[in-house]
Amino acid sequence: MSDPAEVEHRRRAKRDLSRRGFLTTTAAGTTAMAADMGQINALQSEAVTKQLKQQGTRVILLWLAGGASQFETWDPKPGAKTGGPFQAIPTSANGVHISELLPELAQRMQHTAIIRSLNTKIADHGGGASLMETGRVRDPGLDFPDLGAVVARELGRLNSSVPDYVSLYTSTEGRRKGTSGVLGARYAPMFLSDNMIPLNLAQLESVTTVDHKDRAALRDVFAKKFSKNRNSAAVDSHMSAYQRVRGLMASEQLFNVENEPAEVRARYGPTQFGEQCLIARRLVEAGVPFVKVARAWWDSHGQNFETHQELCADLDHSMSVLLDDLSERGLLENTLVLTLGEFGRTPRINASLGRDHFANAWSCSLSGHGIRGGVAYGKTDPEGNTVVDGEASSADLFATVLQALGIDHEHEYMVGSRPIPMADFGASPISDVLA
Amino acid sequence: MDETETPADAPAGEAAVSSVKITKSFALPGAVFCVAGGKEPSQLYFGCSDFSIYRVDSDAEKPEPKPVSDGKHASYVTGLVRSGDTLVSGSYDGSLIWWDAEAGDVRHRVDSAHEKWIRRLAISPDGSTVASVGDDMKTRVWNARTADSIATWDGYQLMTPHGYPSMLYAVTFSRDGKWLATGNRTGKVIIRDAATGRVEATLETPVMYTWDPKARRHSIGGIRSLAFSSDSKLLAVGGMGQVGNIDHLGGVSRIEVFDWQSGKQKFEIEDTKFKGLVEQLQFGPDDEWLVAAGGDNGGFISVYDGAAGTLLAQEKAPMHVFDFQLSEDGSKLRAVGFEQASVVDIA
Repeated sequence: MSDPAEVEHRRRAKRDLSRRGFLTTTAAGTTAMAADMGQINALQSEAVTKQLKQQGTRVILLWLAGGASQFETWDPKPGAKTGGPFQAIPTSANGVHISELLPELAQRMQHTAIIRSLNTKIADHGGGASLMETGRVRDPGLDFPDLGAVVARELGRLNSSVPDYVSLYTSTEGRRKGTSGVLGARYAPMFLSDNMIPLNLAQLESVTTVDHKDRAALRDVFAKKFSKNRNSAAVDSHMSAYQRVRGLMASEQLFNVENEPAEVRARYGPTQFGEQCLIARRLVEAGVPFVKVARAWWDSHGQNFETHQELCADLDHSMSVLLDDLSERGLLENTLVLTLGEFGRTPRINASLGRDHFANAWSCSLSGHGIRGGVAYGKTDPEGNTVVDGEASSADLFATVLQALGIDHEHEYMVGSRPIPMADFGASPISDVLA
Repeated sequence: MDETETPADAPAGEAAVSSVKITKSFALPGAVFCVAGGKEPSQLYFGCSDFSIYRVDSDAEKPEPKPVSDGKHASYVTGLVRSGDTLVSGSYDGSLIWWDAEAGDVRHRVDSAHEKWIRRLAISPDGSTVASVGDDMKTRVWNARTADSIATWDGYQLMTPHGYPSMLYAVTFSRDGKWLATGNRTGKVIIRDAATGRVEATLETPVMYTWDPKARRHSIGGIRSLAFSSDSKLLAVGGMGQVGNIDHLGGVSRIEVFDWQSGKQKFEIEDTKFKGLVEQLQFGPDDEWLVAAGGDNGGFISVYDGAAGTLLAQEKAPMHVFDFQLSEDGSKLRAVGFEQASVVDIA
């Protein structure tokens, strides 16, 4: 009996080869595919178009590490004892109001759906982050991959010339590297914590570009000869690894925002988060399926309102420019922007004018690909203590994201002999926020 | 810091204050950020997180706060002063309201007095003018009776050096009404001629502002309180020292006292026993002592020697203290804060 992992590898290799063949016949390179979906749509059958669209789909996760307050973002309660000092403002979506701290995003609500009814129960940083990253409670016997790894595997290409999963987390508090779990190191994130340009990717100074290319060509000759009459996953994997290394070396410049025009950089603004959102746009534009940008640290036990005045200003501007930039480049229709942290914050305001950890009734947002914009799903009570309508779990959110990406959330990974669904058992996509 | 006279250098002598004792505490309807005295010393008006203004007799056996009016602001009430029978309130909603202190009627209203949150008000000693500061980083001066705008002064950056919105927290008049001092989030103090707005001096207190560039990447702190000595020569600046974990108000409470006209720092105080922000400051009669109050999740009331900064007496408060009223003779302090008020004897 074949090894399930090898069978799966062959399935994916075959899928990628068929895509490559198709793309060759249409004279469209893989990068061009991402850049001009409209042209391909006009040429191809519905089935192929659907497949290509899925392949061109990307995700940007804006991770609000530490836990942003739902009251000061997506679910304001002005005038309630728990509501804090901020007002609610109308948005471009009829009847949807959000915090006055997000005025730019309010004007872009047509791209965004809000879920106001998350009840995820786990209110410690580590447990909450793990839950929201993987869509399930930690299982000691199962190292389940996080969303980035799942998307990298499902939407990445074996012969990709760019990384499949990039994670930017510059702050130290709450830093988590992410995990590809049972999917293996192939889908682990390229994790950038200190330098925004990956280290050790540059070509050695002692090797000239000509030498570098010649060596690669020579290796290709030998490799093709070796693999000619061998039908082996191991050989395919070896070949793929070399291609990826070459691609990753070439992708170094993607991380360098100095390659962007000054006016584009100015538009994203002076903050590090803004700069990292620009890097995220560059990466998805080049075909990276999953980019996580972590913005720490929202853990406002003291001075919640002033913390949110600072951090919401950063979120509001950076995310708004990102949505605009993606939209103007025709990328937003293929890019899902997911914005959330590990939990929300308490209705109760403490004596330090802070809010503490709270996971029983909080919010997140989804924008772009596969999302019905202008929707506020779910409802909390007038003081924000409980969910009163549309309760959603982390698994439901996971299923919703996968569904938006065109991935069957019930598809199972075989871990040994144990079938594990991509979204946890009982998960149900929130159809109201799906396009 | 070579010019700083530390508390350890203070001359020994008979302490002007030896005791701070809370004699009564009572519940308030929310977080109370500001208090103004009434015509009777025991009568207090205060502004609350429920957007309303209340009055209460703090000497009553069971003090019961009553709303001054059915009218409200649209957000937290953060500044309140009284001039005769008029109360002037300021709010995070950016508005100023002039109220009849007894009837509760609105006499005047300026809806966009500031483009952002109003943080605090101050009344000139003669009761003629009100100064307001807000996060639009403007200082505005108003006629206390007619609500006419008299002046608007800039002088602060809208953004912090790290690219985030700044805040202008504190304002106070000198006791002769000649000077007006303001303090912002990043630790900058401006002292102006209160009549002309001319900048007489600027001071920097950078320790009051903590920017965390690595772990959490935002800031905390700022100048929260200012007080002139009765001869107007000294200016006390209150806030919080540098903070390790800016998730919490975990810094030591901090005061810096300046001979502001020379720019020389006379002394600084860091209290490691009671942490958090120094929300309000006032020199006692004859400047012999300086009282400070504030807190983190709890609160404190501390009295220091006015010349050297030596701790004379202090008491743990049952709440984070946001503001207080000190009686003319300095013997009684009425503090308001997070859901509670306290009456304090200073002896």
